[in-house]
Amino acid sequence: MKRREFLECAALLIGGVGLTQSGFSLSNEQKHYLASAPSYIKRPVDYFSIAQRTLINRLTEIIIPETDTPGAIDAGVGKFIELMLADWLNDEERKVFMAGLESVSDMARSSFDKSALNLSSEELLVILNSLEKHAENHPWYDLGNQDGAFVEGRPAPFICQLKELTIYGFFTSEVGSTQVLRYQPMPMKFDGDVPLQKGESTWAGRQT
Amino acid sequence: MNNLNRAREFDAIVVGSGISGGWAAKELTEKGLKVLVLERGENLQHGIDYLGEHAPDWNLPFNGMKNRQEEAEEYPIQSQNYAFSEANKSFFNNDKNNPYVHNESKPFNWIRADVVGGRSLLWGRQSYRWSEQDFAANSVDKSAIPWPVTYEEIAPWYSYVEQFVGISGQAEGLKELPDSEFLPPMKMHAIEKTIKRRLEDKAPDVTMTIGRVAVLTENHKGRSACHYCGPCHLGCSTGSYFSSQSSTLPAARATGNLTLRANSLVEKLIYDDETGKVSAVQVIDTKTGERVSFRAKIFFLCASTIASTQILLNSTSAHFPKGLANRSGTVGQYLMDHATGFGGVGVFLDDMDTYYYGNRPNGSYIPRFRNLAGEESDTDFIRGYGFQTMALRTNWSTNITRRGFGAELKDNLRKPGQSLFVLQAFMECLPNSNNRVTLSPDKVDRFGIPLVSVDFSWSENERKMMEDMKGQAERLLKAAGAVYIIDNIDEGDPIGGMGIHEMGTARMGDDPTQSVLNKYNQAHDVANLFITDGSFMTSSSCVNPSLTYMAFTARACDYAVKQLAAGKL
Repeated sequence: MKRREFLECAALLIGGVGLTQSGFSLSNEQKHYLASAPSYIKRPVDYFSIAQRTLINRLTEIIIPETDTPGAIDAGVGKFIELMLADWLNDEERKVFMAGLESVSDMARSSFDKSALNLSSEELLVILNSLEKHAENHPWYDLGNQDGAFVEGRPAPFICQLKELTIYGFFTSEVGSTQVLRYQPMPMKFDGDVPLQKGESTWAGRQT
Repeated sequence: MNNLNRAREFDAIVVGSGISGGWAAKELTEKGLKVLVLERGENLQHGIDYLGEHAPDWNLPFNGMKNRQEEAEEYPIQSQNYAFSEANKSFFNNDKNNPYVHNESKPFNWIRADVVGGRSLLWGRQSYRWSEQDFAANSVDKSAIPWPVTYEEIAPWYSYVEQFVGISGQAEGLKELPDSEFLPPMKMHAIEKTIKRRLEDKAPDVTMTIGRVAVLTENHKGRSACHYCGPCHLGCSTGSYFSSQSSTLPAARATGNLTLRANSLVEKLIYDDETGKVSAVQVIDTKTGERVSFRAKIFFLCASTIASTQILLNSTSAHFPKGLANRSGTVGQYLMDHATGFGGVGVFLDDMDTYYYGNRPNGSYIPRFRNLAGEESDTDFIRGYGFQTMALRTNWSTNITRRGFGAELKDNLRKPGQSLFVLQAFMECLPNSNNRVTLSPDKVDRFGIPLVSVDFSWSENERKMMEDMKGQAERLLKAAGAVYIIDNIDEGDPIGGMGIHEMGTARMGDDPTQSVLNKYNQAHDVANLFITDGSFMTSSSCVNPSLTYMAFTARACDYAVKQLAAGKL
């Protein structure tokens, strides 16, 4: 639901009782509501080369593939990662990430004698598994770890960065939230004891 | 009198528009006074300016990930607060523009709003009455001067404000946590009902009740019932939680007696030697830097504990060289905050086949059960603590570090996991004269006002309580049937201020040599000055204090207007 529609609903709900002083004429500020802003991933960015962009898209799709529901590419996760690289990661983290991406290409050559973009999905998965195996003792994998891969001054290995950005970017995306998870911004009631149907997804949103 | 002077002359001036200031504005205007409310923060229109309300993650910058660089530069203190997010940062104080001084080896985090409505927009909304034991505590254990008010005296005022606020909750008939005038309680999660049942059986000394919360479960006084979107602290255009913006300021405005001036930082109160009263307030327009003063018959300081203390200490005169209303020397002393502590997290495998609908903006509460009046005590500390609890179901965000790739990972992440039950303690803090707010001797803000300096540390009693709390949390989680208990998260000492219940620096008492205010929140030294934010608190109880500020504010307004009518002010 867009913000304007919401305000109109709200007015109906409370019978039009003094919701705001100035009624429902939209102010300038209102046109910039976060609720009706364009998605973050619609912003322009030009950080990766075309080859890097293609590789990132393929890697994210291996982490979260299209199944009977959309996958990472459908959700624009590659674009999210490119924006985060450009705008959010610090220099140290960015260095780890870009070196990690480069190492995927190195492994492609040494293990399969191919360029990374020519690898099959099975071959890319072999590389991802190997990266995860190599990083398995990193505290990022600890049970209950809530610090994430991006702790100031202690960047986690590339594979942890990649997985965290992919999973976060996917489940907070519009596609992931509405087509893989369930999105209900205006539930109108609370019931803490409803049957969970077999295979049902969680509600969209961050828990922590 | 010319027009300009008339525009600067009021019956009453209220400093601050948060929980207490909103109440003072409502009560005083409804009693017919012309009231000016001064707010240092930006103007904010209810509804219209809640820019982040209902914003989905994908519309937020970085899909809602914290903006680390901006937080470090502009909001290093505020961003430590759970309620701070990309979607509501405009409500918060900019720490760079409005700094204060504290010792970083024993930090005190001053969480502040900077908009009309103040922290009433951001509060946790938990609303509990103090008990008879809370008001008697100081005189029983002699750890501080006695309260001049009893539960009996304030109880009708609790009822009065509750009927307006709208508090949902379950009556339990507990002496240690008196019932409010309740709207219907929110429902519990299935796992909470299971835990409650087990505690009744295996830990009968505790009660678990749904949180008592200033969120409407049915339409109330022109505000609509909660729509359960979840994050109240982004603002609520249906006014479903109580804030000055949704409730008291509109009521005050409806009388036609309210003038509200935003961007108006109060520098000092002007004391008139001849009348022995405050005559005016000096304000700095934060947009232009211009200084302007306003006159009134009575003054209500509701700027929040630390800010009101700063104003008093900065309002020196020949008559009050140590600060206004500070003949006792206690202004700024006895700063308290609830020590908040992580008790533990229980992992539960019960009720896996149930789920929830809607986002309940509330948890469950386990009221104080240690050192209750009339019961044998086996503790090595005085006072007590309550547990605020949260039941949650793990999801992709709690399992983001899971191993693996592909369809199986995706499927595991999209489905609900096990239940977690989190115990968070709120511990009573004793008043201690060494915990204090002063003015910096050499540092000033961008307007030349001396910075506030906060010196705060926990005492032995709070440390013993933290120890006890850990053990009790483990006992309760076991009794509740947790299959696994995560209790080894070492947070270190709680940081002062993070309870966001700072209080006590202009305490009330019968003895004017040891206290600042009398039992009606009226300054002992200055008859037309009332202080009704957290600074009046003589002790801290362990329950969330806002409801108590509201009750005392309404009572003080009633008293002040009667005194004014009787020609005594």
